[in-house]
Parts: sequence; C-alpha cells; structure tokens
Amino acid sequence: MRVPINITVNGDEYHLEVKPNRVLLDVLREDLGLTGTKKGCGLGKCGACTILLDGRPVHSCLLLAAHADRREITTIEGIATEEPHPLQVAFVEKGAVQCGFCTPGMINAAKALLDNNPDPDEAEIKSAIAGNLCRCTGYNQIISAIQSCTPSKSDRRAAERGKSNE
Amino acid sequence: MSELDIVGKSYPQIDGLQKAMGKTKFVTDLILPGMLYGRTLRSPYPHAKIKNIDTSRASALAGVKAVVTYADTPGIKFGPRSEDWTIFAADKARFHGDEVAAVAAIDEDTAEEALELIEVEYEALPFVTDPLEAMQPGAPLVHDDKPLNIAAEFSVEAGDVDRAFDDSHIIYEERYYTNQVYQAYMEPMAALADVDLSGRITLWTGTQIPNMMRMTYAKALGVSPDNIRVIVPDYGGAFGAKMENNIHLVAAILAQKARTPVKLVNTRYDDFIAGNPRVPMYIDIKLGATKEGVLTAKEVKVVGSAGARLVYSMVIVATACYRVDSLYRFKHVRSKGYTVYTHTVPTACFRGFGNSQMTFVLESALDMIADQLNIDPAEIRIKNGVGPNETSIHGWKINSSGLKDCVIQATQKVDWQKKRQKKETLKGIGLACCNHVSGNRPFAREFDGGAGIVRVGRDGRVTVYHGESDMGQGQKTTFAQIAAERLGVPLQMVHVADVDTDISPFGLGSFATRGTLMGGNGVLAAAEDAFRQLAEIAAEILEARVEDIECRQGKFFVDGSPERSLPFQEVAAQATFARHGAPVVGTGFYKPPTVLPDPETKYGNISPAYPFACQVAEVEVDPNTGQVTVTNFVAAHDVGRAINPMATEGQIRGGVAQGLGWTLMEDMAYENGKIINPDFVDYIVPSALDVPDIKPILVEPVEPNGPYGAKGIGEPALNPTMAAITNAIYNATGIRVKNLPVSPEKLLSALKQKEPAD
Repeated sequence: MRVPINITVNGDEYHLEVKPNRVLLDVLREDLGLTGTKKGCGLGKCGACTILLDGRPVHSCLLLAAHADRREITTIEGIATEEPHPLQVAFVEKGAVQCGFCTPGMINAAKALLDNNPDPDEAEIKSAIAGNLCRCTGYNQIISAIQSCTPSKSDRRAAERGKSNE
Repeated sequence: MSELDIVGKSYPQIDGLQKAMGKTKFVTDLILPGMLYGRTLRSPYPHAKIKNIDTSRASALAGVKAVVTYADTPGIKFGPRSEDWTIFAADKARFHGDEVAAVAAIDEDTAEEALELIEVEYEALPFVTDPLEAMQPGAPLVHDDKPLNIAAEFSVEAGDVDRAFDDSHIIYEERYYTNQVYQAYMEPMAALADVDLSGRITLWTGTQIPNMMRMTYAKALGVSPDNIRVIVPDYGGAFGAKMENNIHLVAAILAQKARTPVKLVNTRYDDFIAGNPRVPMYIDIKLGATKEGVLTAKEVKVVGSAGARLVYSMVIVATACYRVDSLYRFKHVRSKGYTVYTHTVPTACFRGFGNSQMTFVLESALDMIADQLNIDPAEIRIKNGVGPNETSIHGWKINSSGLKDCVIQATQKVDWQKKRQKKETLKGIGLACCNHVSGNRPFAREFDGGAGIVRVGRDGRVTVYHGESDMGQGQKTTFAQIAAERLGVPLQMVHVADVDTDISPFGLGSFATRGTLMGGNGVLAAAEDAFRQLAEIAAEILEARVEDIECRQGKFFVDGSPERSLPFQEVAAQATFARHGAPVVGTGFYKPPTVLPDPETKYGNISPAYPFACQVAEVEVDPNTGQVTVTNFVAAHDVGRAINPMATEGQIRGGVAQGLGWTLMEDMAYENGKIINPDFVDYIVPSALDVPDIKPILVEPVEPNGPYGAKGIGEPALNPTMAAITNAIYNATGIRVKNLPVSPEKLLSALKQKEPAD
C-alpha cells in the first residue's frame, strides 16, 4: 500500500507515493537525493536529521512522510540563496565545522532559532541546539558561530572580517 | 626559518563550506547504480553454540538478492593483531552482537524483513563479562586455546623498584577502574562494496587506516592485497574506532555473492553493540615519593577487557602500562598488564589509547600524594615533569617539552593560587597533566613515517595525495597549508585528494596522534620535491641559479629581486610542456628517528616528538543531587607549533568535551551480558548544555622533528580531562573518584556516607 503525498521541498513541489511506514528522512535522502540531511541515530536523539517543517525544526527521522503531506520543508540544500546562508559562512569561518556530519542539522536548528528570535542570548542558543549532538567540536565554536549572526555581535563580526582581510 | 605565510594561520577547513551546505558526500550518502542495501543479523546471546542456521525463508523473500553466513566466507582466521577473528561466527557466537548472518536486498525495509526470516538455533552457554572474573579458574572460556582467558601479557621493569619503595617517605596504593565508553562519532560505521569481473573488491569506507586495513582484509578474504582497493570519502568522525571491523568484510561478502554493489550501514544500535569501544581497565597503582614530593617509584597492574576478539586491546594495555613513565622523571618503575578475553563487544582504540586510562589513575594518585605532603599539585608536577632534551627511563628522547609552561600558563589563567587557598564549600579546582606521542613506532612493525605526493598540473592546480585520513579533524586543511607554504602559493590553489589505495602513498593512517607530524612531514618532503622541479624551470626562464629561486604568494622570483616574477601557473605550464604533457609530480617521505622498543626491556624511542599538556577544571557539586557542573576549563597544550591555531583549538575543545562526557556521563552498562543502553536515549553524550566555555592555551616550543615545528594534538586533548575534573571534585568534596564515570547517584551516595563524619 502506498500513500500519495504532496510536499514542497526547498521551494519545489513533489507529488510522491510513499509506503505508510516511511519516514521523511528516507524520502528526502533516497527518493529526492537530498543527502545533506543526515541519519545519525534514527531515534530523534542526535539531531543530524533536523529539517525545517513550515519553519520549525523537526527530526525528520521520526516524522512519517505521510504526515508531511501539504507541508513546506526546508533542508540544508535549501537555506542558501545565491550566496551561502550567513550561518553556513559563520560555521565555516568560526571553526564550527569539523567532520561536518552534524552541521546540516545544527545549522537548521540555529536558523529556526534566529528566524524566531533574532537576538538570542547564550542560554537560548544552547537550549535551541541541545537536541543536536556534535562529537567533534565541544560546541564552543558552534555557539560563537551562531552568536556572530545575531545583531548584537554582527558589528564585531564585520570588524573581525575586516581584520582577516588585511 | 623565514617568516611563514600560510602555516600558523587560522584558515577555515578548505572543505568546510561544502560540509556546511550539505554538499559533501559522506560514506553513508554514496549510491552506485544497482546498489543493494545490506543488514547484519547479530547474536542475541553473549555466548552461544550455533547449532543450525536456516536462511531459506529469507532467501525466498522477494527483493532479497543475497543471504550470507560463515559458510559463504573463506573460513580463514585473521585479525589485525591476532588470528581470533572470522567473518561471521562459525560454530559459536562470542558476544551479544557477534555477526551471524547478513542479507542484501533492494531496500532497507526488505533487508530488515529478511533478517527476521533467518532461523538460527542457538544453545546458550555460560558467559563472563568482567575481566577479573574471566581470569579466575573455571570461568567460561571465550577461546578454548586461551587458558584463564588471558589473551596477552605485558611486562616492563626498570630500576630497583622495591628498594625505591623502601626508601620512599610516602606510598599511595589504590585500585581504580576506568569503564567502557563508546566513541559516538556522528556517522555510524559503514561500507560500500563493489566487486568487478576479475573479483577485485573496492571498498568505500570511513577508515583511519586504509592501507593497513587492506592488508588485514586481504588475509580474511584469502586474496592478494592488490585485489582490494580502499577509497576513503569524507566521513563523520572516528576517534579511534574506525579501523578494522567485520562490517566492512560483511559488505564485501554480500557484494561477492550478489554480484552487485552493496552498501551496509550500521544502525546506531548495531554500532553500539558491535563497534569497537574503549578498553575498560582495572588499574592497581602504587606510587612513592620523598618528603619533598619527588617521585621515587611506581608500580602498576593493569587488567583490560579485550572483549571477544583482539582488535588492538593488547597494544592499548601495553600503552597504559608504560607511556606515562615519560611524563615525569621516573627512575624505578614496574608494570604488568593482562589483556583478557570476555564475552563482550571487542574493545579497541578510543582517543588516548590506554594512556588516557592510566593518566586518569596516575594524575589522581599524584594528587593524593601532593595532598598528603601538603604540596601544591601544580608544584609537584613542575618538580617532577620531564623537560626538554631529556631522555626518559625507557629511552624516549624528549626534544621539546612545554610541560612546565603548560602548568604555569594554565594555572595563571585561572588564578590557581587564589582559588586553591580561598576554598568555597562544594566548589573545587583541580588540574592534571599528560604526555603523549606523535606516532607510535611499535604499532606497525615494518616501518614508521609518512609519505606524500604533490602533483602540479598544467594549469598550476596543486593536488596533494597522502595516506593518512581526514576523519573530520581537518587533516586535509593542515596538509594543504604545509604544501602551500612550501610551494609558496595561496592556500586556495592547493587541493587534497581523498585517500585511494590505488593512487595515494602507502600511509599507515591517522592514529596515535601521528597524522600531522608523520603525514605532514611526508607532504612537506613531496612539496619540496615538486618545488625543486618547478624551480629548475623558473631558473631557466629567469636565467638564474636554481638555488636562488624562491616562490611566494604564487610568484617565482630570484632571491632579492621580487620585482621580476613569473606566475606559478606559467611555470607549471612551461614545466608540463617541457615534459611533453607529464605533470610535475613531487614525491617524498619522512623517516622518523624512532627506535623500536627492545622486546624484553622495552627500551627504545617510540615517537619523534612528544606532546604535553596541563588542564585545569573548576567544578560545583550540588549537595542535593550529586550533580557535578564544570564551570570553567582551561587546557594548555604543548603542540610544538600549531599549523592552524583554530583547528588545533577545535581539537582541544572537542577532546575536553569528550573527556567530560566520559568522566561525568558516559557508561556502556551491561546486564546479563548485554549492553542495556545501546542508543542515544540511554547513553547520554554531552550536549551544548553540558560543556562549559573551554579555554585553550597553545604552548609552542617548536619541535625540531615536526613539520614547521608541529606535534600532534588529537589524543592529548582528552588525556588529562578526567583527572582534572575528578581532582577538582576531590578539592570540592574530599571524595576521591576511583571509578569512572562519577554519576550523580554515585557522588550523592558518597556525600551521604561522608556526612556523619563531618
């Protein structure tokens, strides 16, 4: 048995027929080839599969694809416009990326935070990414990358950039 | 050394943006036409006789293309260090998770369903999971040919230990236990296998040791090593775990039988129960000192659990036995190590490689001695610490040592003196030191060192080939910086190829904190060779002597006359034309001045360079819950010279966070021979909420044997963390943590027991 679904992924509409037990993560990765979203645990505990569902961060490994019917999905491949998203740039420049396997989910969690709360404090940042595990960085650089994308820190970021260009 | 343009600067990872944009193809992302999905059936018993396996129902399921068991393998016993492995359990399963069968099917659902249709008749057998129990007469044997389950023994003795203890003013004796923990890299172990018509196998897998793995697997599969090609795409972390594992061979056997590519990805559950977690150890320590705090003698006994087969545990136990002897000026030491089989998951490498276990114990013991002698813990370490240009008791030549500077700078940064004197209730501060290696001579017997290939194409594109492994730590960026520096080109002109055993040098791999020093020196030598070839062409055009040719920022010029220059690209093009299309290919290698330890005395020199560190932790203990919060953490590391300070600090922070998890949170818990928390629901690793702001300090004495003076950093980043935290807990509560981890329940009950006496 298959369920017909209509989903919008990164602005593109897809009409798919999926098995009822299929999770959105597998549909994204296997059917649509969007492998930027990662599978780290399959139990909603590592956050590597975090995508934005109507702008809210969700674990795509726990969400049945059928339940995403008529919803709007953004994956890591969809958050950049012509240029990389400022969070993507900041993660790279601040050394928040090591192996990079957690990075797509982490950036989506951070984006959801900043979209709703453009100037979070450190505690709010930590709590927003608490469901996203990173085993490489110790999180410090991830937090500073996110901070550098907030208005209160963006001046300093511009100044630092100027310095590194010298 | 002239001023450096590229080395010593904090460049972001050269492939960082690819990763941040989700464009990097990790091992688990790879797809080949016609590819099948594999799944492994694992033993539900810690020890059982396999009486019969019936795969007929699974094979009959639509969409199943191959079902394999031991009968489909060559049946050769093998192992990276022993011959106690088989691909799939033959007659007996020896741990909960042992590979029993596997399937390949058109999708994961079908593969999963097929697993349930395989009927295995087991007869459960008695089992033993604790290594001390396993050594008792009458304990169930894991392998019948190993009495008392002893897989390996290690001994070392130097000096006159008994006399030195007799002459000691103070002796501290205690038993410690370091538990089994899981590396928890974010991408599970995986392999994609393909077999061509000639039978040649290609494995795409995330591995730290592509070349050595190939040798082990050739034996297992009964083929010549050149019939196996290993390609290492980007992969999501390793921390020691991603070396040999049966999953890669299972993928190969499935691909052989199905005659089409097979991708096998561990579920996280499979990865927990059949990865290769840290070697748990019982460690008895006896440590003596004079009244002034000068260490006199040390004796240790280590009993480590190998699990059901040997991966690298015996080398890890050996390392625990004696590596710390070169941290302080020991004159009299005796160690005995036992590596013991148990009916548990095979244990292996995890950041620190045995030295982390022993560093926790030694640094705890030293803290107790300092306490009893009323000497400042920082002072006792400075007093005993190995300095530059010293030779340790086992012959290790310490060229550079920033140990003393690490202690001084770390303690200054936290205002150590003041905080130790002004003690607040349930708040504490502690420190710990460590030494480590940058490469481990005895790990691979045939040779030691590293090699590189630097190819400069017609358009000036530089490609570096190496044989180590970028598991996410940023090895590619480090190598690119080294090559760019030596060639004199901007970093963006340098690219680093994925390791492919058909093309790359035969590198030993990334382990033992060796990548930057060994591989980096290999890349440096190759860049030197490529530079010389290009300089010859530039010398001709510029009508100068080749030895006067320089290149900086992508321009060749004659030393002293930078106003007349040639673009790097033009010289590369002229070189290619002059060779009728052949690219400039520089090759080079590094032969380290190491000495294989004597089999009896263990006297030798196992590494060309020894990194050191001192870490300081501040903690608060909640008296109601026993919860420990690390409120501040400073990590001072002697890294020789940081090729990339940001990446080096990233290693330090990551290592500390991992050590913090081990100390306070992580434990692979067993019940009835099974791990009862094999997922991130019950096995909790640190989240952003658990890790404090970690403040790295880079101490850079410049190591003569390092590329541009660099030593490694991977493992020392974690080694001292456990004792730094538990020494701080001791300072806060007077409770000495002897068993890791210090869970809130454990600490709370210790606090309760202490109460009446206060």
